[in-house]
Amino acid sequence: MQMSDDVMAEIHRDYLFNLVLKGERDDGRAFDEFRDISIETGVAGMAEGSALVTLGDTQILVGIKIQPGEPFPDTPDVGVIITNAELIPMASPEYEAGPPREGAIEIARVVDRGIRESKAIDLEKLCMIEGEKVWIIFIDIHVLNNGGNIIDAASIGSIAALLNTTLPAERYGLGEDSPLPVRDIPIAITAIEFGGELILDPSLEEGKLAGTVYTVITNSDNGISGMQKSGVEPLTIDQVMRVVDMAGTAAAKIREKFLEV
Amino acid sequence: MSEKPEHFIIDGKRLDGRRVDELRSVKIKLSPLDRADGSCYIEWGRNKIMAAVYGPRELHPRHRQNMTKAVVQYRYNMAAFSVSDRIRPGHSRRSIEISKVGRDAFEYVVFTKFFPKTAIDVFIEVLQADAGTRTAGINAASLALADAGIPMRGLVSACAVGKVDGEIVLDLMKEEDNFGEADVPVAMAAGGKITHLQMDGHLTRDEFYEALKLAKIGCDKVYKLQRQALIEKYSGDYAENGEDAITQSEGDADE
Amino acid sequence: MERNIAIPGDVVSDNIKMSGSGTYVHGDTVRASVYGLLNVGERYISVIPLAGKYIPCASDRVIGIITEVVYSNWIVDINSPYEGLLHISQYPRRIDSENMSKYLKVGDCILTMVASVDAGMKVELTLREKELRVLSNGRIVTINPTKMPRVIGRNGSMIRLLKSEIGCNMFVGQNGRIWINGSDDCIDLAIQTVKYIEDNAHTPGLTERVQAFLKAKEKTRYGKVHESRNDEE
Repeated sequence: MQMSDDVMAEIHRDYLFNLVLKGERDDGRAFDEFRDISIETGVAGMAEGSALVTLGDTQILVGIKIQPGEPFPDTPDVGVIITNAELIPMASPEYEAGPPREGAIEIARVVDRGIRESKAIDLEKLCMIEGEKVWIIFIDIHVLNNGGNIIDAASIGSIAALLNTTLPAERYGLGEDSPLPVRDIPIAITAIEFGGELILDPSLEEGKLAGTVYTVITNSDNGISGMQKSGVEPLTIDQVMRVVDMAGTAAAKIREKFLEV
Repeated sequence: MSEKPEHFIIDGKRLDGRRVDELRSVKIKLSPLDRADGSCYIEWGRNKIMAAVYGPRELHPRHRQNMTKAVVQYRYNMAAFSVSDRIRPGHSRRSIEISKVGRDAFEYVVFTKFFPKTAIDVFIEVLQADAGTRTAGINAASLALADAGIPMRGLVSACAVGKVDGEIVLDLMKEEDNFGEADVPVAMAAGGKITHLQMDGHLTRDEFYEALKLAKIGCDKVYKLQRQALIEKYSGDYAENGEDAITQSEGDADE
Repeated sequence: MERNIAIPGDVVSDNIKMSGSGTYVHGDTVRASVYGLLNVGERYISVIPLAGKYIPCASDRVIGIITEVVYSNWIVDINSPYEGLLHISQYPRRIDSENMSKYLKVGDCILTMVASVDAGMKVELTLREKELRVLSNGRIVTINPTKMPRVIGRNGSMIRLLKSEIGCNMFVGQNGRIWINGSDDCIDLAIQTVKYIEDNAHTPGLTERVQAFLKAKEKTRYGKVHESRNDEE
C-alpha cells in the first residue's frame, strides 16, 4: 500500500520527534540498529553476478554485466567500472519514468566511490591489452521497492553481487571463466540527524523528517573509503566523528553476518 | 548468437522436453512489493518478471487527464542485466511498442469510467529474459491489477504460439523464437475476446487459424494458473468451496 | 452467509436483478468486477474488494491533511486519487483571506466532511458541521480503506467496543484514516488493535477475536501497572 508522499501530518511529525526525545523509534529499534537484512545471490540469471537485497521493506536487485572494451584514454592500463542506479517507477509513488535524476545519480556515484576508493576490485588485473582491451564492469542498481535507506541497501547489494561475479572469458574466447577478484568489502552506512540524535538506517518516514542525511563508507580494515552529506542542516565535528564510529561498527556487523566467505 | 538447431521436435518432444501444446513451468507470487497498490512476480520458464500497479491515482500533467474516465498507462521495461548483452537503460523502440500494445490489451477490460481524471499505471520490469516476456508481462499485469482492487471485466491471459519443424507450437522458448518460422503473441479476456495480437514471421491462412485455436487453449491454461494464484493467496481460514459456486463462463472464439 | 473468493470475470449469478456493488451485468449473467469476497444476500449479490482506493462521496466524514494554501482555498489530502478543496467560507468562522495559514497551515490535520462531489470529481469539504474540527494532538493511523467497515462494525458496534475497552478517544474517517487520542499506552493499544482488525478483516467471528486480543493485551497491561505500583510503595 502506498503512503502519501506529499505532506506529513504535523501531529505525526510531533509524535516521531517526541519518541526520539524519549530515546525511541516508531518501529522499536535502537538508534544504531539496522532493520532485517536478507541477501540472495544469482537471482538475475543473465547477469555475470547479481544480488537481491532486502533491507526492511526496501528491495533492490543489483546486476553485474561484464564485457571487453576499450579503456579510458587517460588510464589505458586498468579496467573500467560504470555504476548506474535506476529508481524505477514501480518502486515508489514519487518515481517517474525517464532518465536518472539527481537522486538516482547521487546513489550511483556514492556506491561507485565506495567500491573504487576501497580498491575492492583490482582494476589493473582487468587489463588485457594495454590501451586496447580491458574488462568493463557495469554495476546496475535496480530499485524495486523503496522502503527507506536506499543507499545502504544498494551498497550492500553491489558488493554482494560483485562477490558472486564471474569474468565471462569463455564467451569472448579470452580463456577460462574465473571469479572476479574482489579484495575488500566496502559498505555504506547512512545516518540522519533528528531531534538532536544520530539515527542509523532511517526508515521511509524517518528519511523524510531528516534535515540532513550522512553516509559513511567503511572497508574491511575500518578505513573510510567515501562519504556524503546530503541535505541542508549542518553537522558538528563531534556528530561527524560519532557517525564515522557508528558506521564502522554497523558495517563490521553486516560484513560478518552476510558477506564474509 | 548460438547456432540454429537441426531439429526442434524429435519424437513429439521439443528441445526442453515439452509437447507441442505444453506451457513452460510457471511460478507466481502475489504482492511482493509494498509501496505499489498491487504487484505480482512471475517466473515463466527462465523469465523473471515483476509487475506493479499504481492507481487509480492523480494523473500528471493535467492536460492529459480525461474528464470521463481513467487513463491506463502501461510501461514495459527491461533491466540492463536481463539479457546476455547488456541493454543501455532507457526506452528502446521495441519497449515503446510493447508498452503501447500492452496498454491496448488492458484498455478493454478495465472499468475506467469509474475513475475520471485519474491514471491507472501498470509497470512491467523484466529482470531475466528468455523469450515470451511480453506475454508473461501481460499475465503478471492482470494479477497486479486484481491485487490492486482495480475493477475489470475479467483477467487477461496471454501466451505466444509459433511454428517450428512444420508444427504449430505453444509458448515459444528462446531457440524457437529466434529460429522458428513465426511468433504470434496473443492475449485473451473472458469470452475468448482477443485484446492483444501480433505476428512476426510467416504462416498460411490455415496455419494461422490453427495457431489461434492453440493460443486459445494456451490462454485457458494460463487463466487457470492466474485464478489459482489469486485464490491461494487468501486460502488460510478460507477454504475454497469444493462445489465451486463460482464458475468462469465458457468462451467461444467465434463470438 | 457463505463467503468465497471471487475473481474479476467470475459468473456469480444468472439473475441480473441481483447485481450489487463489485459486480457487473454481461448479457444475462452477473459477474464479479473485483477480486474480493463474494457476498450473497437476499436481494443482491456483491463482491467486497480486498483492496482499493477511497473514492469520496457526499456526507462522508474523513480525516484530511492540508497540503497547500492557495487563493481562498486549502487543498487537502484525503487519502484518495482525488484531492479535497476546503473553501475559506467553509471554515467555522469568518476569516480573512490574507492570512489563511494562521488558521490552517500545511501539515495540519482536520476532521472534515465531504459537502459535495460534482461530475468532474471536484470534492468540496466543509468544517461547518458539528464535531468537525482541527486535530492538534493525538495520532493518525492509516489502513486499507476497504477494511474500514470492519473497524466501524455493524451500526458502529466495533468502534464502540474499542473505545470502551481501550479507553481512548477515536474517530474513524471513511477514507481509511483513524484519529486516536489518549494516554500513550492507550494509543499504542488502539493502533495495535486496529492493525489486528485490518489483518483479519475477512475472517469470521471477528468481534470475538478482537475481544480475545484485547483481553490478552489487558493482562500484559495490568502486569505493567502492577509493577509500577510496587515501585511506588
